[in-house]
Amino acid sequence: MTNSSSNRSNGGSSVWQARWALFRKSAAANWALFAENPVGLIGLGIILFFLLLVILHPILLNTVWDPNVYNPINGFDPQSPVNPAPPSARHLLGTAPQGQDILSQLMFSARNEFILAVLAATVTVTMTTTLGAIAAYYGGVIDNVIMRIVDLVIMVPALSILIVVSGLFELSIVQLALVIGLISAFGASTVVIKSQALSIKVKPYIEAARVAGGGDFHIIFRHLLPNLMPIALLYMMFSVTGAIFSEAVLAFLGLLEVDMSWGIMLNTTRNLGFILDFSNRWYLIFPAGLSITLLSSAFYLVGRALDEIVNPRLRQR
Amino acid sequence: MSTENVIEVKNLTMEYSTRKGNVSAVDNVSFSIKRGQALGLVGESGCGKTSIAKSLLKLLPDNAMIQQGQIVLNGKDMVPLPEEEMRKHRWSEISMVFQAAMNAFNPVYTVGDQIIEAIETHLPDVSEKDARVKIENLFRMVGLAPEMVDRYPHEYSGGMRQRAVIAMALSCDPDIIIADEPTTALDVIVQDSILKEITTLQDRLNMSMVYISHDVAVIAEVSDRVGVMYAGRMVELADTEEIFIRPIHPYTYALMQSFPSVTGPKRELVALPGEPPDLLHPPKGCRFHPRCPNRIEKCDQEQPEWKDYGDNHFCACWNPMEIN
Amino acid sequence: MWSYIGKRIVQMFITLLLFQIATYILIDLQPGDVTDLLIGNPDITAAERARIAADLGLDGPLPSRIWTYLTNFYTGNLGVSMQQYPRPVSEILMTRLPRTFTLFMAATILSFWLGYIAGKFLAWKRGGAWEYASTITGVTLFTIFTPLLAYILLWLFARQLDSWISDTFGIDFDLPISKFNTPSLWRRAPYDTNTVFSWMNWNFFAIVMIILIALIVSNYIPRRYRPALRIGSVVLSIGGSLIWWAFISGVGLYAWDIVKHLFLPILTLTLISFGGNMLLTRTSMLETLREDYIETARAKGLPEGVIRNRHAARNAVLPVWTALVFSLSNTISGGIITETVFSWPGIGATLVQSVSVSDFAVAMGALTLIGIMTLIGHLIVDIGYVFLDPRIRIH
Ligand SMILES: Nc1ncnc2c1ncn2[C@@H]1O[C@H](COP(=O)(O)OP(=O)(O)O)[C@@H](O)[C@H]1O
Ligand code: SF4
Ligand SMILES: [Mg+2]
Repeated sequence: MTNSSSNRSNGGSSVWQARWALFRKSAAANWALFAENPVGLIGLGIILFFLLLVILHPILLNTVWDPNVYNPINGFDPQSPVNPAPPSARHLLGTAPQGQDILSQLMFSARNEFILAVLAATVTVTMTTTLGAIAAYYGGVIDNVIMRIVDLVIMVPALSILIVVSGLFELSIVQLALVIGLISAFGASTVVIKSQALSIKVKPYIEAARVAGGGDFHIIFRHLLPNLMPIALLYMMFSVTGAIFSEAVLAFLGLLEVDMSWGIMLNTTRNLGFILDFSNRWYLIFPAGLSITLLSSAFYLVGRALDEIVNPRLRQR
Repeated sequence: MSTENVIEVKNLTMEYSTRKGNVSAVDNVSFSIKRGQALGLVGESGCGKTSIAKSLLKLLPDNAMIQQGQIVLNGKDMVPLPEEEMRKHRWSEISMVFQAAMNAFNPVYTVGDQIIEAIETHLPDVSEKDARVKIENLFRMVGLAPEMVDRYPHEYSGGMRQRAVIAMALSCDPDIIIADEPTTALDVIVQDSILKEITTLQDRLNMSMVYISHDVAVIAEVSDRVGVMYAGRMVELADTEEIFIRPIHPYTYALMQSFPSVTGPKRELVALPGEPPDLLHPPKGCRFHPRCPNRIEKCDQEQPEWKDYGDNHFCACWNPMEIN
Repeated sequence: MWSYIGKRIVQMFITLLLFQIATYILIDLQPGDVTDLLIGNPDITAAERARIAADLGLDGPLPSRIWTYLTNFYTGNLGVSMQQYPRPVSEILMTRLPRTFTLFMAATILSFWLGYIAGKFLAWKRGGAWEYASTITGVTLFTIFTPLLAYILLWLFARQLDSWISDTFGIDFDLPISKFNTPSLWRRAPYDTNTVFSWMNWNFFAIVMIILIALIVSNYIPRRYRPALRIGSVVLSIGGSLIWWAFISGVGLYAWDIVKHLFLPILTLTLISFGGNMLLTRTSMLETLREDYIETARAKGLPEGVIRNRHAARNAVLPVWTALVFSLSNTISGGIITETVFSWPGIGATLVQSVSVSDFAVAMGALTLIGIMTLIGHLIVDIGYVFLDPRIRIH
C-alpha cells in the first residue's frame, strides 16, 4: 500500500507527461476524424469568423474608427444625421435608429456572446460531469435527489424559467450565463452523462483503483471525470447553442439589461416598427438576426460532428 | 423423384465493390437441384455461402453486382429480371430461412400478421380465413401451438422463433427453400429437433432445398447432394454418400478428415495449415493452392477445370486425391 | 399497464407540487411582495393593500405562505392580477389557455406528421441533391432564431403573397399579421370570439378522437377493410366538419376569421419543430432499414411501399415518438416566442407580458400552467408509447 502511494507521488510528473502524450495522440486522431466531416468544419469556420470580429473590434476603435462615431452603444455620426441610414462607405452595414454604426454593434455584441458561451459552457460541463459522476458513483439518496431536481428542471422549458428569473432579477451577461449553465447542468444531459458514468463505474480499472486504496474523491476526479469529458464536451456544444439562443430571445423580448447585443438590436428595430420593412430596412433586421442564427447553429454543427466521433455508430453508413 | 430441375445455376459470378476494391465472393458457380432434392452447401465461414443464397433471391446489398451467369428458376432466368418482377417470384417460388432468425420478425406485429401478409401478396385469392387456417396448420407442422399465431415475436423463445420462420418460409408453397445456417444460433438440443423437423417437412412436401452450413455433420444429415465451397468457388459437387466415401478434392478430403464419422467427436481441421484467402485479392489459379498438400506446378497459374468423374461427381482440381 | 400509468400520474403530481413550491420560493426571494404593484393604483388605499396581503397569507412565515398558496391553487383560486386589479388570475388564464392549446396541438401534430413523412422518404431515397437540401433545411429550421423565422414568414405571407394574390386574382385575402380576431368584423357577430373558438376546439378534439378510435378499431377488423376505415374516418370527420361550419353553423364567416389569424402562428410553430422531427425520423429510419426484419420483408416479396411504410417507418417512429418529450419543450419555447411576435393572446404571451410589468401572480399562474401542459404532454407520450410498442404493452 505504502509502496503504491509513494510510486504515485514519485512518478507524478512522468505520469502527467505520459498522459499529455496520450492526449496529444488521441487529439490528433480525433482531429483527423473531425476534419473528415464538412459539417463540423463549417461550424468551426463560422465560430472562428465571429472570433475574428471580436478581436478586430477594439483594434478598429483604436485605429481607423473614431470612438465618438463608432461607439456601439452611444456613437453618433454628425455626417449622417438622418438615422437609420442604409449602408454606405462610412457605415458598411448602415446605422441604427439612434445613429450607432451597425457593424460596430455587431462586432461588439459578438464579444458578449462569447463571454456568455464560454461561461455557460464551463458551468454546464463542470456541473453535469460532477453531478453525473456523483449520482452514478454514490447512487441511493444522492442519486435520487439529483434526479428529482432534474425532473423539476426538465418539467418546464428552460426559456419559461429564464423569462421569470430575468423578470425577477436584473441579470447581467455573467449572471445570465451562470443561470443558463445551472439550468442546463440539471437538464437532460446529466441523465445521459450519469448513464455513461454508470457504465464506466463497473470497468475493471475503477475496481483496481479502489483496491489500490484510492478514495472516493480520487476515483471520481482521476478516473470517472476524465472519461466523461468527451461526451460532456458534446453536450457543452449544445448548451452553448441554447445559451446564445436564450440570451437573444430574452434581449429581444426586452427582459435583459445588457448594454448591447444582437437581441437588443432586434428589440430596438421591433419597438420602432421597422421589423417588417424588409425592403428598406433590411440592415436593421438581417445582420443581427443572421448573426444569432449563424453563431448558435455553428456550435450546433460542431456538436453534431463531435457526436459522430463520440458515437461511432453514427459514423458508419 | 422426378428429373425436372427446379433451379439451375450456371456460371454465377458475383462481386461486392468496396472502398478497398472488389470482393470476389462468388466465382463461376454452377449447380442444379431437382424437385424434392436437398443440396447442401458447405464451407468455412466467409467462403461465399450466404452470398450465393442471397443471389438466388436477388436480395443483394447495393454494393453487390451479379457479373455473369444465369439463375434459371422453373425454366426462367432470374438474373435479367427487374426488381418489381423479381419480387413476385420471391417467396411464391423461392423462399428463405435466414441465418439470424432472432430478428427475422418485425417486433411490432404479431407473427401471424407477418405471415398473412406474405400470403396476401402472393396468393390474393386466398381469403383471410383460409390463410389463417393454413398458418395454423403450418404451425402444427413445425411443432408450434396454433395459438402462437396471434403472439408477438418477443413472446417466442429462440427455438420457437426459428420454427415460426420455417412456417413462414412454407406459407406460399414455394418450390424451393434456402436455409442459411438455420440452426447455428440455437443450442444443440433445439438444433437437433429443428433439423429433424426440416428434413421431415422437406420429404413430406416433396420440396427442393438448399441447405447451407459450415458444419459437415449437419450437411450430411440433411442433404441428398453436397457442394463444397472454397473462397467463392465450388470445388466439388456429388451425392452425399459418394462425397463422404470418395472425396476427390484435397480441400473436401481435409474437411471430411476433420469429421471422421458424422456422429463421432469433432476434430480440428489439423490437416490444413494457413487461412482461407482474402477475397479482395484471391490467389491466382486454384484459390486453394497456398494451403494445398497436392499442389503441382500449374496450380498457381491456371484455374482448374470443372471435370466430370462419373456418377454425377464433379470436381475442380489439377491433382485430385487418388481415386480408389 | 394501467398500474404503470397510475404510477406515472402520481409521480408527475408530486413533481408538480415540488415545482410549485420551488417557483413560489423563487418569487418570494425578491424584495417586497405581489401587492407592490398596487402602490401606483389610486383606487386602492394602503389599508386595503394590507387586507389583500393578509388574504393571501402574505404575513405568515414561509411554510404557511406556501401552504396557503397551494391550498388556494387547488381550490381554483390563483389570486388576482395586480395589473388588471381585481381580475382573477384564473379567469385571465382560462380565457387564454384554449388559444395556446390549439396553437400547440395543431403545430405539434402537424410538425410530427410532416417531419415523419419527409424523414421517411428522405431515408428511403438516399443520397443526391435531396438529401443535401433536406439536411440544410432541417438544420436551418432547427437553429434559426425563432423571431427571425416568424418575421420572414409574416413578410412572405402577409405582405408579399397577399399583395401578389390580390394583384393577380383580385381576391383580397387579407392575411392578418397579429392578434386573435378582426374586431370590426366581430362587432356584428351573434357570439363572441371565445365562444366560436371553443366550438372550433371541440370540433377539432372530436376529429382527433374519431380518427384515433378508427385507428384503434381498425386493428381488430379484417385486414382488407382497414384502409377503408382509416381513410374513411379522416375524410368523413374533416369533410363533415367543414360542411357544418360552411353551411350549417351560420358562423362560418367568423370561424374563417379565426382560422386566418391562426394560420401564420401555426405555420411558424410547425416549421420550428418540423426540422428536428424530420432529421430525427431520417436518422432513425436509416437505422431501421439495416434491421434483419427489413431483409425478411424484402425476401417475402412485399411491395416497396409496404416495406417502407408498414415495416420500416412503423419502427422508425418509436424513437421519434420518445424524443417528443424534448421536442415538446422546444415547441413550448417556440410557442412563447410565436405568441409574442404575433400578439397572439395565449399563455406564452401572457407570461412575457406579466413578467415585464412584474405582475407575478399572473406570471406564476402562467408558468404553472406551462408546467402542467408539459407534464400532460409527457404523460401522453408515455401512454402513446405503450400503444406503439407491443414489447412494452405485453410482457
Ligand atoms: N455487403 C458486403 N460488402 C462487401 N463484402 C461482403 C459483403 N457481404 C459479404 N462480404 C464478403 O464476401 C465474402 C463472402 O461472405 P458470405 O457470403 O457472407 O460468406 P459465408 O456466408 O460463407 O460466411 C466474405 O469475404 C465477406 O467479407
Ligand atoms: S488444383 Fe492444385 S492447388 Fe488446387 S486443389 Fe487441386 S491440387 Fe490443390
Ligand atoms: Mg453466412
